[in-house]
Amino acid sequence: MNAGETCRSCRLRWEESRVSDYGVSHGACRVDVFAFLQLLARLEARRCLKDIEPRLFAEDEGPRHGDVEPWRDLYLCVSGKTELLYHLLCRCVLPEAAGGLEVDALFVDTDYSLDMLRLVSILDSRLSSAGLEEAALRSSLSRLLVVHCSSSSQLLLTLHYLETTLNSRPSLALLLIDSISAFYWLDRCEGGASISRQEEKLSKCAELLGRLLRDYKFTIFATCHTIRRSCSGLAASRSSTLEADRPYLCRPWQRLVTHRVLCSRQEAENHTAGGSREEKRQVFRVHCSSSSSRTKASRISSFCVTDAGVQFI
Amino acid sequence: MFLTLPSILEKWPCQWSSGASGRRASPSFNAGEAVTALELLQRERECGSITTFSSQLDHALKGGLPVGKVTEICGAPGVGKTHLCLQLSVDIQIPRSFGGLEAQVIFMDTEGSFVLQRVVDIAAAVVRHFSLLAVDGEQKDTMQTFNMESILSNIFLVRCHDYVELQAELLLLPDFLRDKPRVRLLVIDSVAFPFRQHLDDLSQRTRLLQGLAQQVISMATRHNIAVVITNQMTTRLQDSQSHLVPALGEIWGHASTTRIILQWEGSQQVAAIVKSPCCIDTAIQYQITSEGFRDANQPEITLTNRR
Amino acid sequence: MVGLQEGMCPGLDGGLLRSLLAADVKTVEDLVSSDLEEVAQKCSVSYKALYAIRRVLLAQHTAFPVSGADLYDELLSSTAIISTGNPSLDKLLDSGLYTGEVTELSGGPGSGKSQVCFGVAVHVSHQLKQRVIYIDTTGGLTASRLLEMLQSETSDRDEQMEALQRIHVFRLFDAYSLRDRLSTLRSGGLLQASGGGSVKAVIVDSVSAVISPLLGGKQNEGMSLMIQAALALKTMAKDFGVAVLVTNHVTRGGRGEVQPGLGASWSHIPRSRILLERTDRAPSGCSSTLRSATLIKSSRQPCLIKEELDLQWWSRSERRSSGKRKRDEADS
Repeated sequence: MNAGETCRSCRLRWEESRVSDYGVSHGACRVDVFAFLQLLARLEARRCLKDIEPRLFAEDEGPRHGDVEPWRDLYLCVSGKTELLYHLLCRCVLPEAAGGLEVDALFVDTDYSLDMLRLVSILDSRLSSAGLEEAALRSSLSRLLVVHCSSSSQLLLTLHYLETTLNSRPSLALLLIDSISAFYWLDRCEGGASISRQEEKLSKCAELLGRLLRDYKFTIFATCHTIRRSCSGLAASRSSTLEADRPYLCRPWQRLVTHRVLCSRQEAENHTAGGSREEKRQVFRVHCSSSSSRTKASRISSFCVTDAGVQFI
Repeated sequence: MFLTLPSILEKWPCQWSSGASGRRASPSFNAGEAVTALELLQRERECGSITTFSSQLDHALKGGLPVGKVTEICGAPGVGKTHLCLQLSVDIQIPRSFGGLEAQVIFMDTEGSFVLQRVVDIAAAVVRHFSLLAVDGEQKDTMQTFNMESILSNIFLVRCHDYVELQAELLLLPDFLRDKPRVRLLVIDSVAFPFRQHLDDLSQRTRLLQGLAQQVISMATRHNIAVVITNQMTTRLQDSQSHLVPALGEIWGHASTTRIILQWEGSQQVAAIVKSPCCIDTAIQYQITSEGFRDANQPEITLTNRR
Repeated sequence: MVGLQEGMCPGLDGGLLRSLLAADVKTVEDLVSSDLEEVAQKCSVSYKALYAIRRVLLAQHTAFPVSGADLYDELLSSTAIISTGNPSLDKLLDSGLYTGEVTELSGGPGSGKSQVCFGVAVHVSHQLKQRVIYIDTTGGLTASRLLEMLQSETSDRDEQMEALQRIHVFRLFDAYSLRDRLSTLRSGGLLQASGGGSVKAVIVDSVSAVISPLLGGKQNEGMSLMIQAALALKTMAKDFGVAVLVTNHVTRGGRGEVQPGLGASWSHIPRSRILLERTDRAPSGCSSTLRSATLIKSSRQPCLIKEELDLQWWSRSERRSSGKRKRDEADS
């Protein structure tokens, strides 16, 4: 049972210690045996995504079971955030032979922005560099599940339904939500003047996700758009950067988040006019910080986007 | 109207607010229906265009100022914006037998630049021009009624002192247009003056102007009228050089379908069409005479010769 | 939000509905996310019956996951690339507009956005013989210009008329009617509007004209309208396999740099964005139909590549004569 070991430093440590206690005493408490076995079975099945991207997360601070990652991009970002998301998604679904983790992932597309052609081209280039064929691409793709949601209500219902999927697919270890803030303005308008009504849906989603994380132990990555409160495009750039950085989604969601990854485009190297294509590549800077109570850690890394997806520098 | 809770819940929140805006729509225009481009072409041909009395400008605009579209005339003070507007106000009344539109005009004056004597001069020249052209009986008959008095009585003058008044007048305009179906031209001379004078908050100004633009565009389309808006010029620093550009900011520039800039180039007055859906950017020369807006290479002498 | 209604699923009868409403369970979401045991007690129904209802409702209203492999297969069979008819634009967009995607053109006044839209509409309707939906919010659509472009493509009058008939125009001048129109089109109206023929391109010129007056200030409603319209465009593009082309204005940032309008929230909507600019700096009468087009967002091409774009491309035969005329003017 090394599943318990891998996840020793999980947020829900007490639960695990109980597991190991019971593991030693072999069902000392009869009432709990069933629950315990089920929990053990789940822990055994789902892989921990601790080493999903060592260059992104601070050492020993990789996302563990039960972690949620929100991303937000600053500036008018040329899909740096999306590229990073695809990168992690590829790491998950690729076979181990191609450096992947070979686990299932569910992509919740609320923005209708999943660019399948782009994803396939990233997968393709990684598979071909590992010398794998078309069949590997198909099997990688079949490890990915995609669901489109067009309203926050549908998102909530779909997340409820997720429980069924989690039960039927023990290898499902990653949930991606792109983006969690897609319905922010719709909900705000729908909720009228009452803040609690505005945030009702997302709060419910967050609470549900919290429960699912506890019960099923998987990892969630979510993206979050930057909003500019001072709307006019003429807003002063520097002061609004700080403003835009502030989390704005509801509290239950903020509580759920353990790691925060900020992705921004580096100003330098951007406007090199002329020259070859290579010179015009865009460099993105990611700042990853964990906001959990354990330790404060952060790490800054840079990447650029190529045909084969994200490449860390 | 009473609704049960579930049916309320199913409604989009904004449907309630959009109901109000929907009611304002003119019944004459069925916004819900799609038209094919072919029908649109036929409509455009029926609408016709307004001659400017400058054959070069007419040619550049493919027949004159388009009816059903918004045209913006920009220029520094004294370059002839108001003159062109007044010329158009008279030209739109040219009788059908001479190929005109025989229509009426609303002139919204915000700067106080509507000078009656100028209108009288322009109108006199136009009447003179057509009385000389009249050949057949029908045309001679129409010339009986096409005179100074009828021309002046077909111009509805509205004086607006600030942007609030201007907006109020524009809100009331659809009703006026319903009562006066013969109106085919709306002149706003100028939109820049009230908005530049009394509004300091730039983002609010931009928003108000954009709202005004949409209002004017929808009026032009729904009631099939030509809209002519004049605008001032302002200097913008770019690459440490100052350029003369139309005022009210870049976003306002999207409001008009056609944009004409009038300017001095040396001793020549030049009208440059900088934005237009139907013609490439061109620049033509013109002049302002006591009789109105004319081609530059057609001095008054040739006009008298023709007489 | 879906309200609970009698007969939505077997077992949900009037009596149960009333007691559910009394227990403050009004919508499907309420029922699904409530503690069923508690509700069962409150409404004095069996937990089992309630559980069954929950399962059925969930199955009715949830979105189902699709395997990535299936999605990819479907995409391969349904995606088409629609040429814009202009080689430099096609080069920027990696051979044209992709169906299922939203492409944006932004630029200042007179930068040629509408001309590009006309050109695309004419090309799709004449060369590709497909229907086009053109939503005009600025009153800028001039049919005689479309005809002019067609005349340079073909001299056959019938063909010109047929091509014009394949372009369906909606003229909408406020954000509410744009939103409502887009959602009708999305929910099946797309097929009706075109009279049953297949639509391959939807053009909105311009999105910013109606939406940006509502942004700023309290901005809640404007943002919500913008997102609704955007979602309708995206789902329409996906569900019906159409290419969507929208236009946007530009604003100037703090350092005078040009950026597309409508702010950060909109920037996620288009898959590809092109910035059109005048090549000549002089604002005065220097006439030129050349524009520079810069790719500022794309997932297929390296960003910030630039191409020279000739607006006259779509009416080439005219180009020679007008060029000559210009030369004559210069000579005299």
